[in-house]
Amino acid sequence: MNSTICALASGQGGAVALVRLSGPDALVITHTLISKTQLLEPRRQTFCPIYDGKNVLDKALITYFKAPHSFTGEDVVEFALHGSPYIVGRLLELLCKVGAVPAKRGEFSQRAFLNGKMDLVEAQGLCDVIAAGNKAAHRLAMSSLDGKLSGKLTEIKTKLTELLAQIEVRLDDVDEEMTPLSADFIKQEISAVLTHIKNLTDTFSVGRLIKDGLKVAIVGAPNSGKSSLLNALVGFDRAIVTDVCGTTRDTVEETLEVNGQKIILTDTAGIRAHALDVAEQEGMRRSKRAMGSADVILFVLDSSRAVTPEEKALWADIRKENKRTLIVLNKSDKPVASTPDLDNLPSYKQFTVSCKNGNGLDDLKNALTAPLNDVEKDGLMISNLRHYEELLRAQTELESAQMQLTQNAGGEIYAEHLRGALTHLKDLTGEVTPDDVLGVIFSKFCMGK
Amino acid sequence: MFVCANQYDVIVIGGGHAGCEAALAAAKLGAKTLLLTQNLDTIAQMSCNPSIGGIAKGQIVREIDALGGAMGRVTDFSALHYHMLNTGKGPAVHSPRVQCDKKVYQFTFKHFLELQPNLDIMQDEAVKITTSGNAVDGVLTLRDTLYKTKTVILTTGTFLGGTIHIGTVMTPGGRYNDMPSNLLSKNLSEELGLHLMRFKTGTPMRINARGLDYSKFRLQPSDNPLQPISHFTDECEQQNRKFLSCYITHTTLATDKILRENFQRSAMYGGNIHSQGPRYCPSVEDKIKKFPEVTSHPLFLEPEGAYTEEFYIQGFSTSMPEDVQRALIASVPGMENASITRMGYAVEYDCSNPMDLYPQLESKIVPGLFCAGQINGTTGYEEAGGQGLIAGINAALKVQGKEPFVLHRDEAYIGVLIDDLVTKGVNEPYRMFTSRAEYRILLRNDNADLRLMPHAFRLGLLDKKYEPAFEKYRALCNALKANLNAPVTDEPDLFPWSLEKARKHAEIHHKYEGYYERNKKDAEKLAEVDAIKIPEGFDPSSVRGLLFESAQKLREVKPQTLGQASRIPGVTPSDIQLLAVHIERFRRLKHVADSH
Repeated sequence: MNSTICALASGQGGAVALVRLSGPDALVITHTLISKTQLLEPRRQTFCPIYDGKNVLDKALITYFKAPHSFTGEDVVEFALHGSPYIVGRLLELLCKVGAVPAKRGEFSQRAFLNGKMDLVEAQGLCDVIAAGNKAAHRLAMSSLDGKLSGKLTEIKTKLTELLAQIEVRLDDVDEEMTPLSADFIKQEISAVLTHIKNLTDTFSVGRLIKDGLKVAIVGAPNSGKSSLLNALVGFDRAIVTDVCGTTRDTVEETLEVNGQKIILTDTAGIRAHALDVAEQEGMRRSKRAMGSADVILFVLDSSRAVTPEEKALWADIRKENKRTLIVLNKSDKPVASTPDLDNLPSYKQFTVSCKNGNGLDDLKNALTAPLNDVEKDGLMISNLRHYEELLRAQTELESAQMQLTQNAGGEIYAEHLRGALTHLKDLTGEVTPDDVLGVIFSKFCMGK
Repeated sequence: MFVCANQYDVIVIGGGHAGCEAALAAAKLGAKTLLLTQNLDTIAQMSCNPSIGGIAKGQIVREIDALGGAMGRVTDFSALHYHMLNTGKGPAVHSPRVQCDKKVYQFTFKHFLELQPNLDIMQDEAVKITTSGNAVDGVLTLRDTLYKTKTVILTTGTFLGGTIHIGTVMTPGGRYNDMPSNLLSKNLSEELGLHLMRFKTGTPMRINARGLDYSKFRLQPSDNPLQPISHFTDECEQQNRKFLSCYITHTTLATDKILRENFQRSAMYGGNIHSQGPRYCPSVEDKIKKFPEVTSHPLFLEPEGAYTEEFYIQGFSTSMPEDVQRALIASVPGMENASITRMGYAVEYDCSNPMDLYPQLESKIVPGLFCAGQINGTTGYEEAGGQGLIAGINAALKVQGKEPFVLHRDEAYIGVLIDDLVTKGVNEPYRMFTSRAEYRILLRNDNADLRLMPHAFRLGLLDKKYEPAFEKYRALCNALKANLNAPVTDEPDLFPWSLEKARKHAEIHHKYEGYYERNKKDAEKLAEVDAIKIPEGFDPSSVRGLLFESAQKLREVKPQTLGQASRIPGVTPSDIQLLAVHIERFRRLKHVADSH
């Protein structure tokens, strides 16, 4: 039980999300994501930025609980973050990259109980949670890894098991009569598996989008009709719409289902070079952050008037984000002024829309969800963080095996890495035991006296 | 009925490789021990191949040796030919194998037994284990003698209900020309309630070397320099002995044709044998049937002894009738004119489900009854010896009211072997492979002493006189492991160890350092769950929320620790989470109840 585990401890979808990290390395792991000099005192809240590489992921309230005075009885760090699925997902990803593992269902409570932090009555509830998780995981292993994904995973497992068998049979060849495997052959086999695994890990971002929802930030100059667009897409008046510039000072979030996909729209404060007052400045700061955490940016332009210098500046900011961006030419019910004078605009998809009469909205909706539909059709998708992490770890093992092969290491060495890869994949593919490997050996090789 | 006046602590039934180690170990720990065997002249007999060791098996012999067992020392004493296997691969899979003089081996072992204080040896056949209440209290023999005892170790090999097959000819026998133990088999299943299964194994024919054409063989000379298999053998002295060679030849298309034409006449395919044989050690007819694309299989000629012309033909195990066996020999290059001295045969025998045993090899059904060796569904002298040793130790410890001695999977191949047997059971004769060990990098030939001798000194299995030298050697190894260039000097009185050995060990350790740490870390995680004992009175299968299949498996295996439960195939990590919570719950409730 000496691993350090992490998970979202609050429910999904609140304004504030609580991520909990528990285990002996909680503090060390935390310090890889915040300033090394930032002191974390036990039971004191610290407000500080969390870094994703050089960028700030979020500013969070961090609380450190020293063992045994914590929920689990171990060293615990809790992160209170802005409740965005992107920020939460990314933080968990970062934590896992530096050594934490995603917590199993009920695992925090289990540790709490085993460390004497929970009484017998509470333990019964805990058991129910674990049991439910057990059944769910069992179902997952049995059936719900459906379609092509399950096929692909079986392919990976079979290939790895057979390769391991080829290596093991030579290690256990009593007669010493078997021809050795060439390093090139093993490398080729591993590369093939690596390609499969990489294809799967590449789907993780999209897979998560489908699970958590596609984040769409609506940006544009004040009064270009961003809130009207949100309302038109949602179908009822959610945002306050006025014709006074800068009405939307806070960001407004709305979840809607488009073509069966979950989409989270964020209407941002209109971005202007000279904000009028402090509240508006804060709103604009949030707008920039919304763009940063969005998966897609909708840039709304008022087609009835010419592009302003402010919009040009905003366009430069949007392009810096390097994200999928759709251009919405709003107010098509009015006479069109001229083609917007923005750099490289033709290489972006443009949609002529009227929020007033609803023209062009369906095209925009379809364009938003199109990439998600593609993935769905293929059926290959990893959306579970645990599975994603395990695939990444398997990938690392296989890469290490290849490196060892290049250095002419013995079979017992790269077998260690193949075994490691199979162990990491067991949540996805089911366990491969030595008996399974021996089964392949006995069925394919004539061995023994 | 004659009732023997001696009250024994341990009676070992069977004088094979398991029985001999069991008897020695129990007696060494101070238990008053009796070894019962049908025939004292076949004690420690090598019924099949004339060699000890092999891949993974060689490591087991080193482990037995480090734990004070005799197999390694007897092997070096009777050695005819040394071969370190897998030297083309990394040192983690280097495995010693030694060809032995069969007669020298068995009589040396007999002598070891005769010299052991606390150990009586008696030629007699056990027919019944008597009980009082449910627990063992005596052994009745064919002569109608009753020996009183507190524990019994069953090491019956292939003798329980043994049947020999040569073609369609079936004769009762545990080994060719040796009578089976049928009464005991009946007693075990019908009176004691053991769950018996039926397994099969086989042995090839032996031939007379006179008339062999050696020009058609590939020579396999003994290793020079050699490495003794026992830690206690003087390497230099051993080097000066005379050694014999082995020879390699192969089957031909003619061999193939003979086998194909006579499939239906083999005991295996003719329908007389229904029991499960090992997949990895197939008879030659099996090989042809399962791998038709392989047209030539290697055959190894191994000398049966220094004072005999008999050769054992490894790779030619068969249950074909005599005329076919004769034709088979004639079809092999170099053996055209050889004559057979003993026919190959298959043997079927009763074994007992090892899942009915605790990890200390004591029966869950009959307290005081221990089982070791082929009766637990294994094959191989080394696998048998390892289990015998552990059963012998634990029978003695039980009598002395001490905690059982269980080796873990990261400590020894013997630990892997027994854990596999009692947790997963067997459906074919079980042979050790390095691929069965998840901590292969830790379980090496070169570190068996460092892994296990501390246990041996603590338990009293090794002579204390070796302890100072061992401690010096261990310190040397640690210094060199920390720094290969550490300034160390050759110490006096290091025998049987040496500075050279320490250097070699440290070099291997360095080669595997990263992997060693990784294995260790995994093993520590395992040790944590293995440390959680499933408390007495707690029925894991009654826990609500477990998967149905898991509950069933838990009922069957009755694991001793949470770790063992986690290794039962099909039991999920969530099942283990649940068990952990319920064990803690059970512990607290009991604590509350006890304090009232």
